[in-house]
Formats: sequence, C-alpha cells, structure tokens
Amino acid sequence: MKVDIQSLGTFNQLAHEGAEQATQSLAQMTGIDAVVDVTKITLLNRDDVGEELAGQDFVGVQFDFEGALDGDTVLVFESDSVGPITEALVPGGADGEMAQSSVEEIGNIMMSGFIDGWADYLGTTIEHSPPEYIEATGADVLPPAPTVADQPQVFVFKSQIEWVGESLNFYIYMLPEYDTLAELMTDHAEPGGDAIPIDKLSVFNEMTTSGTEQAAENVEMMTGIPTEAEVTQISFAPIEDVPKQVGDDTYVGTVVEFTGVPSGYLLVLFDEVSAQNVAEALMPTEPDGEGLTEQHKAAIEELGNIMTSGFVDGWANVLQTSVDHTPPQLVHDIGQAIVDPLAAQVGQHQEHSFIIESEMRTDEIEFSSEIHALPDEKELRQALAELEVDRADQTDADVEQIF
Amino acid sequence: MKVYDGSQTEQESVGQPERKKVGIAEYAVTTDEAVLTTSGLGSCIGVALYDPDSNTAGLVHVMLPRHDDGEGARAKFADTGVEVLLEEMERAGARRRSMEAKIAGGSDMLDFSENGSSIGSRNAAIVRETLAANDVPILGEDVGGDYGRSLRLEAATGDLIVKSASQGTATL
Repeated sequence: MKVDIQSLGTFNQLAHEGAEQATQSLAQMTGIDAVVDVTKITLLNRDDVGEELAGQDFVGVQFDFEGALDGDTVLVFESDSVGPITEALVPGGADGEMAQSSVEEIGNIMMSGFIDGWADYLGTTIEHSPPEYIEATGADVLPPAPTVADQPQVFVFKSQIEWVGESLNFYIYMLPEYDTLAELMTDHAEPGGDAIPIDKLSVFNEMTTSGTEQAAENVEMMTGIPTEAEVTQISFAPIEDVPKQVGDDTYVGTVVEFTGVPSGYLLVLFDEVSAQNVAEALMPTEPDGEGLTEQHKAAIEELGNIMTSGFVDGWANVLQTSVDHTPPQLVHDIGQAIVDPLAAQVGQHQEHSFIIESEMRTDEIEFSSEIHALPDEKELRQALAELEVDRADQTDADVEQIF
Repeated sequence: MKVYDGSQTEQESVGQPERKKVGIAEYAVTTDEAVLTTSGLGSCIGVALYDPDSNTAGLVHVMLPRHDDGEGARAKFADTGVEVLLEEMERAGARRRSMEAKIAGGSDMLDFSENGSSIGSRNAAIVRETLAANDVPILGEDVGGDYGRSLRLEAATGDLIVKSASQGTATL
C-alpha cells in the first residue's frame, strides 16, 4: 500500500469532520459545550494503541462497522463525565442502568454522525452495529487493533474532544481493517502524486524507536537512572493542530533545528516535576534555592543535547546521511506556545505535517520525557524514497561516537 | 422515543457567562457577553475586536503572516484573519467605525537566525497593517518578548486579559 499526502490530508479531514458532527450531536442533545481539539492519523505498533489512556478509568461505546471501510470505532468518555452526561439527559441524575443507557444513547447518536460523515464523503454506505457499552481502565477500553500478517503497525484515527469548562475529555478512536483502508487510500491517491509506501513509513517508525532507545540509554548513562523508551509513533495532522498535541501545561526542555535530508525541528520536553527530578540526578551537589534554578536549567540543556544527538544519530545511521543540528535552546513555557513557532516555521511551506513522537520513562523517580520532531514534508518523502528497507537494522548508534 | 428540544438541558448557571474556546486558525464572535479564550500563543497572535456601541466582541487566533504564502482557512493568516473577523463582527451587528482592537502574542521565543525576521514580528506587522487599513485603532497591545501567552476576552467589557507562564497576568 502507498499513501500520498493528498489522501492522508483528505482522510484526516474526514475524521475531523466526523468528530465535529459527533460533537454537534452531543451539544444538541445535552447542551454540553464541547470542541474537537485534535484529529490525527497515527501509524504505530498495534500493542501501543491507546497507551496515552493508561491509568485512567473510562466508559465507552463501541461499534463495528463494515462496507467501504471495515473495522471498529469507539467513543471513550472519562469515567468522571458519566455523572454530568446523565444529569444532562435525566435532570436530577440517575445511576446504574439508567446512567449506562444515557451513555449508550449519546454514544449512538454521536457515532452515527461520525460514521455517516465518512459514508457521505465516500459516496457509499457504511453499516454499523448497535452500540456495545464498555467500562475499562486504560487502553482496555479500546477494541483490539486489527492484525495483519507481516505488519506489526496499524493506522489509528484519533480525535480528542474537550468538554469546555469541565476539564473532561472524550476521545473517538477508529481502527480500520488494513485491507479496506488500503484500498480506499489507493482509490483516493493522486496518480503520480506524492506517494509513500507504507512499509517505508513503518521502517521510519522503527528507526525512530531505535533513536529513542539511544536517547534513553544516554539519559541512563548520564544520570544512572534506568530509563526506558516507550511509544514511538508517526502522525499526520493539519499544521494548525500541531501545537495542540502538547497542551497547556508548562514544560521545560530544548529545541534544535536539524539540517540535512530531512531538515526540521526537534523538541525534547519534560514536565516541570520530571525536569527537576532528572536535573537533580545530574547535579553533584544540592541545588541552591527552590524550584527550577539556573543549575537545573543548565542540566536540562545538557541532557536535551545528549538526547537530541542520540535520536538524530539513529536516523542518520539508517538514512546513511548526515543530519546535523544547532546547539539546543532552552525553553520553559506553556507547551503549546513552545511548539507554535516551530509549527509556524514548518507551516510556511506545507499545509499538513508529519509529527514524530516518542516517550521515555523511568520507574525509579517520577520522570517522563517526550521527543517531538517536525520534519520538512518534502524532504522526509525524499529521504524515504531513498531508503532501502533492509537498512532498518543498522540503527545501533555507537555510544562512543556521541561522547 | 425521547425528543430533545434543548429545554431540559440548560447547563449554564445564572450569572456565569458562556465560555467559548478559540483554537489556532479559528475565530469566534459574540453578542451575548460570553468569554472568549485562546491559549498557547507563541509566535501566533490573538486579535480581539470590540464594539462598545453594539456590545459585540470577537477574537481570532492567527498563525502565519499572509494568506498568499500558503493554503488553509482565512483565520490561519494575519491579513485574512483580521478581515474575516471584521466581516463577522459586522454581520453580528457591529459597526466598523466604532470598533477597537487589542492584540497580544507574536513572541520571538526561538532564534533560528537564518530565516530572516521572525514569524512573530512579521505576524504583528501584518496585523497592525491590516487593522490600520481598515481604520480600526489598537487600544492595547502586549506583543513580542520571548514567552508564550494565553488570552481571555471578556465581551461584557472588552477587557483582554493576558496571562503568561513567566510574566503573570495583565489586563489590556
């Protein structure tokens, strides 16, 4: 299967409009004011689907659908939203079966809007099953991702919907079967367009994983804290949705511009608690003063540099090219405001962007870090065109080279 | 079958203005004293328009300087974003000659110097130029610097409240 930029853009738009339709249905029924924050298409390992839901309780309404597109879709509510939803439908509130049927009813109406949106655009029919109510923790609320022989990675369409003023979120996940999706994408591809074979995108993901592993090893070596690389994924979204990926919390981290093929921007971000913890692990003495001191910031800058090098070297090895980067600039601000100027830079030349995201964590102290890369789209395509798929295993960056 | 006509779903408690969130490349206009918010402005700019005569307020969150340089919604660009907001304000009953503007954002947080002048300052220049061309005065601004901002436009008064992680809160 090949995907081109045009069809990725179209499918993203479809998922977004479907989510908008679903959100409007919700507003009409309940008066709940909600907005679709982000819609993106992500390619990731099937085992990692829904990783971002970890540790939270959810209720969901799941549907199978079949027709021009086959698969499963699920509307996921944070458990805390069940009360307000029920209250909106049944003044005075309700619990037990009544609450469940409220969620089912809302789910049914929202998802009919979502699926009809797709069918309308595709000029065909997509049938869906009656809703099935689910309660679960974390990724278990999602149906198992479809399996495909020789293809460990799957496409997931994901929309995040924010309930304005309630700080509650809803999510719509759509997990299409590979074959029907492949067929549809091929049908909507422009002949001779900017097609990328999916296996190369998968290889790119694998190489990002090894870059992240390298970055995690570097952190471990510097801090002595066992650090693990977690999810690695590549997403595709309109440029104006890119800053929203990070959200409104305050982050500390580093930004570099990388040059070569591809060029682009790379961010290493820590939440404030993680930044403080990991920086202190690097300091020979107790910090002078409270909170994030200049010592902390210097340590983060050093760490950001080491992580960036590890990550970028992972790419360069596979692409057999050199990818250089500027010295890191320290950032400490609202997450979205940090990403915004980078998205704007990239957005001067392209309407959509690939976003490469990976995460690392430790069990020992509260520490997690995210890496986000925004490559130039044309150059990424060029790099992938030149990539030989069997080079993926040559990603063992040599630690000695980095130091 | 249940029929929902909205009457049993009143969510707003009395005295609490409605809150509308404006995303990147989006705008909103209100005539009912809602609070319009937008968050995480880095090099992006939030342009707030207020017409005290008709009590109409609007907010747009623009990302890039000129529509000619790219594709996408009008609200994504500084020039067409200001224009679309002016048009929507008029459609909601505001008159251009009594409109006032307040702007915030357009910071230069990151310096990747080979790209010429920063997107933040170019965004600010185009916003000013477009407002001036439409004879809308700028009554307050908090532009530039090296930090991000979040905005809250109170349509009841036209106050634009600017919040940043490092500089605290200011009212324009």
